[in-house]
Amino acid sequence: MNDATVIREAAQWLVRLHSGEAGASDWAACARWRAAHPAHEQAWQKAERLSAQFGAVPPALGIPVLTRPTRATTQGNRRAVLRTLAALGVVAPAAWLGWQHAPWQGWTADYAAATGERRDVTLADGSRLTLNTDTAVDVVFSGTQRLVRLRRGEVYVRTAPDTAPDIATGTAPDTGSAGTPRRPFVVETPQGRLHALGTRFTVRLLAGHGDDPPATELVVLEHRVQVAPSGGSAPAIVQAGQGVRFTAAQIGPMRPQAQDPSGVDGAPGWTQGVLYADSLRLDAFLAELSRYRPGVIRCAPEVAGLRISGAFQLADTDYVLAMLRETLPVQVVLRTRWWVTVAPADRM
Amino acid sequence: MPARSCAASPACTLAVQTLYQDHHRWLVALLRRRLNCPHGAADMAQDAFVRVLLRPEALPELREPRAYLTTIARGLLHDHWRRRSLEQAWLDTLAALPEDLAPSPEDTLAIRQTLQQLDDLLSRLAPKAREVFVLSQLQGLGYAQIAQQVGISERTVKRYMAQGFELCLSLMD
Repeated sequence: MNDATVIREAAQWLVRLHSGEAGASDWAACARWRAAHPAHEQAWQKAERLSAQFGAVPPALGIPVLTRPTRATTQGNRRAVLRTLAALGVVAPAAWLGWQHAPWQGWTADYAAATGERRDVTLADGSRLTLNTDTAVDVVFSGTQRLVRLRRGEVYVRTAPDTAPDIATGTAPDTGSAGTPRRPFVVETPQGRLHALGTRFTVRLLAGHGDDPPATELVVLEHRVQVAPSGGSAPAIVQAGQGVRFTAAQIGPMRPQAQDPSGVDGAPGWTQGVLYADSLRLDAFLAELSRYRPGVIRCAPEVAGLRISGAFQLADTDYVLAMLRETLPVQVVLRTRWWVTVAPADRM
Repeated sequence: MPARSCAASPACTLAVQTLYQDHHRWLVALLRRRLNCPHGAADMAQDAFVRVLLRPEALPELREPRAYLTTIARGLLHDHWRRRSLEQAWLDTLAALPEDLAPSPEDTLAIRQTLQQLDDLLSRLAPKAREVFVLSQLQGLGYAQIAQQVGISERTVKRYMAQGFELCLSLMD
């Protein structure tokens, strides 16, 4: 058996399986190839080791480093990549925490959206989920509850009245008064459980920051949601128009949420592919924007406090970055496509 | 393929000795100019002669010894430059993350070492192919998305992915 042939075949399998569109039959076919010859399995084990190496590196660190310009990048390429030149600063992508999971966690989640992707899902009971960038959820509907487990990212939930047949009688359910589900609709995060007592809300996982532990952020758009932290402290009910952040240990203060004018029916702008800012600090804006693209966006301290307002199209984050120069005294440098710094504009 | 020892052949040993005597000082001077560091130059010159010893079959027909040594030196310089740029990019990117989000000291060392290994594997991939491969393997992006973000066709993405996997698998032991 020719080494080069085995490697080429293994590579073809890997290309297929990593496409983002591989299904169970692809995996099964690959398993048959692996079993066909010991050399195949050996090659596969190498691939597993390679995958483990990649999995050990945080994307926010690894992407800028591994795609850094090299001598092989000619001046022409650099000009294509660079928009302007500037100094350096710091903004961390809020989705950083995602690296601790294997890069392919999306493969094992029931539904997932990649970085920069948005995905609509309709569940068996008619409830709808919209997954934001870099999000993974599991859905477990049983006889006793309708459970959505948020494993990463942010999701917009619109619950439907439970339409499962009554297991005891085998007849269609009596849903009782409007909006009262038979099986509770629950969203679970590492910090606790959310019981939907109404119809529309958003849930987002937040990475820890310094002294702040990881948290879940809930914003209720319609009716009510009950929050039960996993640490056991007393649950609280969050009303429409309010948001709250909670950790496993405790629930933070309720805060009124301004309606996002770029969304529909008060839903956040991202559900329409828009990032809306109302006099938002530039560093906070860039932290949000960076969720929608791989790599790192850094913000120089000198310009971090500049305020930005507007509605920005998330489908083209390159364009959003370029437009910053039109409205603010900043320069944007792309050291590589995925290693961006925003800094004060040169004085002319 | 195991390296044949030069000690097996007296003619070979003599050839390397001669090469060393005639060209070692010249090589160190060349490397010193490229490296701006006398210590590094001496080490790298030693490295170069180790490489010569590892390929004794090239010695008998060596018509242009300095050209041969220059080729070896160029490869070593390239690796050196690449390691330095990795170090710099690593420090710069770490500096981009606030302390609270930076990896712990234990994790930092492990990540740094893994990055070094990955960089060694990927260094021979062309920049665009490397970018595509890294976006797939580190960020988990699908090919349609990579194609859109990098501005190339999906077919090209798949070609780059195949290059990446073939390269990595063939270099790994």
